Amino acid sequence: MNDDEMDELLIQGARDYNEPGSVPRDAMWARIENERHGRATFSAAPRQSPRAWAIGVLAAAMVLGIGIVIGRRLERVSTPQGILVDAAPNRASVEVRPDSVVKAIRNETKNTDSSVRQLNQSRTASTRTDGSADSQNLAYRLVMLRHLAGSEAMITAFRSSARRGEVDAQIGDWSRELLGTTRMLEASPVTQDPTMKRLLEDLDLVLAQIAQYVTNGKHDPDDLDLIEQSIDKRGVITKLRTPLPARMLPAGT
Amino acid sequence: MIEDPRLADRQLVARCLGGDRLAERALYDAHVDRVYRLMFRMAGEPDLAADFTQETFIRGFERLSQYRGDSSLGTWLHTIAVSVALNGLRKVKRIRGRTSPIEDSPEIAVQPGGFTADLKARLHAAVDALSEKLRPVFVMHDVEGYTHEEIAGTLGIPVGTSKARLFDARAKLRLALAAFAGDHIA
Repeated sequence: MNDDEMDELLIQGARDYNEPGSVPRDAMWARIENERHGRATFSAAPRQSPRAWAIGVLAAAMVLGIGIVIGRRLERVSTPQGILVDAAPNRASVEVRPDSVVKAIRNETKNTDSSVRQLNQSRTASTRTDGSADSQNLAYRLVMLRHLAGSEAMITAFRSSARRGEVDAQIGDWSRELLGTTRMLEASPVTQDPTMKRLLEDLDLVLAQIAQYVTNGKHDPDDLDLIEQSIDKRGVITKLRTPLPARMLPAGT
Repeated sequence: MIEDPRLADRQLVARCLGGDRLAERALYDAHVDRVYRLMFRMAGEPDLAADFTQETFIRGFERLSQYRGDSSLGTWLHTIAVSVALNGLRKVKRIRGRTSPIEDSPEIAVQPGGFTADLKARLHAAVDALSEKLRPVFVMHDVEGYTHEEIAGTLGIPVGTSKARLFDARAKLRLALAAFAGDHIA
């Protein structure tokens, strides 16, 4: 039997490989509706590996610290359309426990994503006045602040686990979520600041590389080296840290 | 009049983003069968297939504002689906601890008159044991009939890579079946 004949046999034999039955459309739709409209923000997320907890504690402290500083000056910023953006992260949800800290930080990054989406929708729908544009820009800057803090925490967690030869699927999910938020911010007024625009572009590249690395599902020193080069050459971590206080906070903070 | 599918996709997405629940259901109905079939082929269990399908649509709706129409909505959803399935199966494997390379697949005893069933069982075990890179391509192309262009768009790889992976997958499966087939297929 030659290869072509064997391939034909393979294809024939594979036709009933894991043959699906009928599609439970309505049952699945009911669960989707329930999840989308009823679930807590992070209740369905997979359990976070305890190995990242130490990094998580540091990152949580950073996010909390930034939030508290902002929170002293500005509890909430309201856009003209009435959409509220929490200036400070939800402190009640951040519990400093080994198995919950990274989960809490990822939760914050999900909240950031929702805030950006709401802002984009409100911006699209609004007729802007000078005052509304100012408050909207400030709202964008606040979510940008949270996004950068969350991105730094994720990149740090990734580097730590990758150096140990681990490929953590949860970090892959997290990086994809952050990548989505990054791309929404790239289409926002935040990019009127050239520094922020470049930072988001660099972040986009690094997050995409991390997402792809985790998707590949195995430790690959060469790919990891490329990611490290991107982070180092572009100074992503440094940029994530340094521009925050001076550029992003409201005057007088 | 022939409607541009991409335009229809964008219009449907716009309605969904505007909070139109009927549009959400229409989007779901348009794609759920194909997504579920692929998830079932990947997972092999109805509960897992349903879980993966649900998670695909939940994520899809969450990220709908990120859909830019560069690919069809179906391809975009399938990209999410394959990612969900691979991540989910990794977790299942970790929990069940059943990573089985092809070489370790159980030998199937040949029963008189049972050649087809045995060969299929051996083949299916060998497909199960393909790597994460090869199995989705084989399942999508040879089992579900996706084109290489669709596979490339879904997996984010060049068409040539899709073809190469299919070639590799078939070669591994041929190898896995060679001794079996050599003895029993003339």
